Amino acid sequence: MRNFLLLIRRYNFFIVFLLLEVVSGILLVRNSTYQRAAIVGTSNDVIGQMYAAYSNVTDYLILGETNRILAAENARLRRADSASFYDPKFEIMKVNDSTGLQQYEYISARVINNSVTRVNNYITLDKGSMQGIRPEMAVMGSNGVVGIVKDVSEHFSTVISLLHSSTKISSKIKKNDYFGSTVWDGDSPQFARLLDIPSHAQVTVGDTIVTSSYSGIFPRDIFVGTVSELGTTGESFKEIKLRLSTDFQKLSYVYVVRNLMKSERDTLEAKSIVVQ
Amino acid sequence: MIGEILVQLIRFILLIFIQVLVLNQIEISGELNGFINPYLYVLFLLMLPVNINKILLLFLCFLTGLTVDIFSGTAGMHASACLVLGFLRPGFLHLIAPREGYETTLKLNMAGMGVSTFLIYAATMILIHHLVLFLVEAFSFLNFFELLLRVITCSISTLLLTVLSQFLTQRNREVAK
Repeated sequence: MRNFLLLIRRYNFFIVFLLLEVVSGILLVRNSTYQRAAIVGTSNDVIGQMYAAYSNVTDYLILGETNRILAAENARLRRADSASFYDPKFEIMKVNDSTGLQQYEYISARVINNSVTRVNNYITLDKGSMQGIRPEMAVMGSNGVVGIVKDVSEHFSTVISLLHSSTKISSKIKKNDYFGSTVWDGDSPQFARLLDIPSHAQVTVGDTIVTSSYSGIFPRDIFVGTVSELGTTGESFKEIKLRLSTDFQKLSYVYVVRNLMKSERDTLEAKSIVVQ
Repeated sequence: MIGEILVQLIRFILLIFIQVLVLNQIEISGELNGFINPYLYVLFLLMLPVNINKILLLFLCFLTGLTVDIFSGTAGMHASACLVLGFLRPGFLHLIAPREGYETTLKLNMAGMGVSTFLIYAATMILIHHLVLFLVEAFSFLNFFELLLRVITCSISTLLLTVLSQFLTQRNREVAK
């Protein structure tokens, strides 16, 4: 026993080293989600606050850019405002139209996580079910389409970015209303492809592509992008490359679109299909 | 004594902040990603007093590593690397000690140790720390040469920052005088 104690005294440095190393080894091996939650949980407040403060500072650094985007958007909205048009027909329509009913609501949200480099990219927003966000709502930036809400928690939501292999956005050529779907081929975050446009449709480089309202998720006429390249015309469909209007690499604020009449439309459409 | 502890504490907080808020955020797109990630916080462990209690040194290493771990969500990785550094530090200091031994007031920085000794000391310790860190991170020797290359490039970047910080603080002190 005495020898044992002597041994411990003699090698206490090494023993403490081994002990602590074993502790960190255990931490390392059991670094499952649970462990991480347990460790980080104890200091979550401190660290969370610190990262929030950090984000406040970095937000401040891009304030100029954010301001510029907002100002540009204001200008565009003002231009689109009915007060900027001289259109008597519009006035009449407004009078006769008894359904002056709001169909879409916009919830602004901040992008707190975003990626563009993977094949399936997701975006995280700082608003959730508490602010009225539900799965399958459309997400748009001030320059156009961004994605579709996938999951929602109380305060956060994840968005399937347009830059995702399974995203399909119902879109149309603005000038002649031929519709197709926009998909992303996993290559550059600036380009996408427009499928299902019939080969007899007239398309030229520079044409504007906007959303159609066929899917019921996006309101109509939201900017998707412009035609940048025309591929070979196939038997029945054209191959079209789009330059996306949204710059996904500097996304900071977006709007979530709530369609107030979605459930009504969905039930009606479901009924029709059943009757068939 | 209390002044010394205060200095160390301030250095600890400052280095952890720099590490977590600046250096951990470095992301270089393309080929070089992962090759230039300095871990400057080891400077705190390098600059602990020369006559510090060995057991205390180990616990400080563990604590420092764990703090960085908590902030980067990698439980145990930095802690184990720092521990190895703490375990080898007294022996290595003994190895490179001058013939008459260290004075207890010696500061373990560039001004106190001399440029070449400090460089040898810092480079060795940083290399050991980074080697253990990346080994633990990879956990297997799958791509050993890439790993080794990462250890070397990251060590160089850490060492550069270390030397830079030495010049910065030295200059401040001279100005203060």
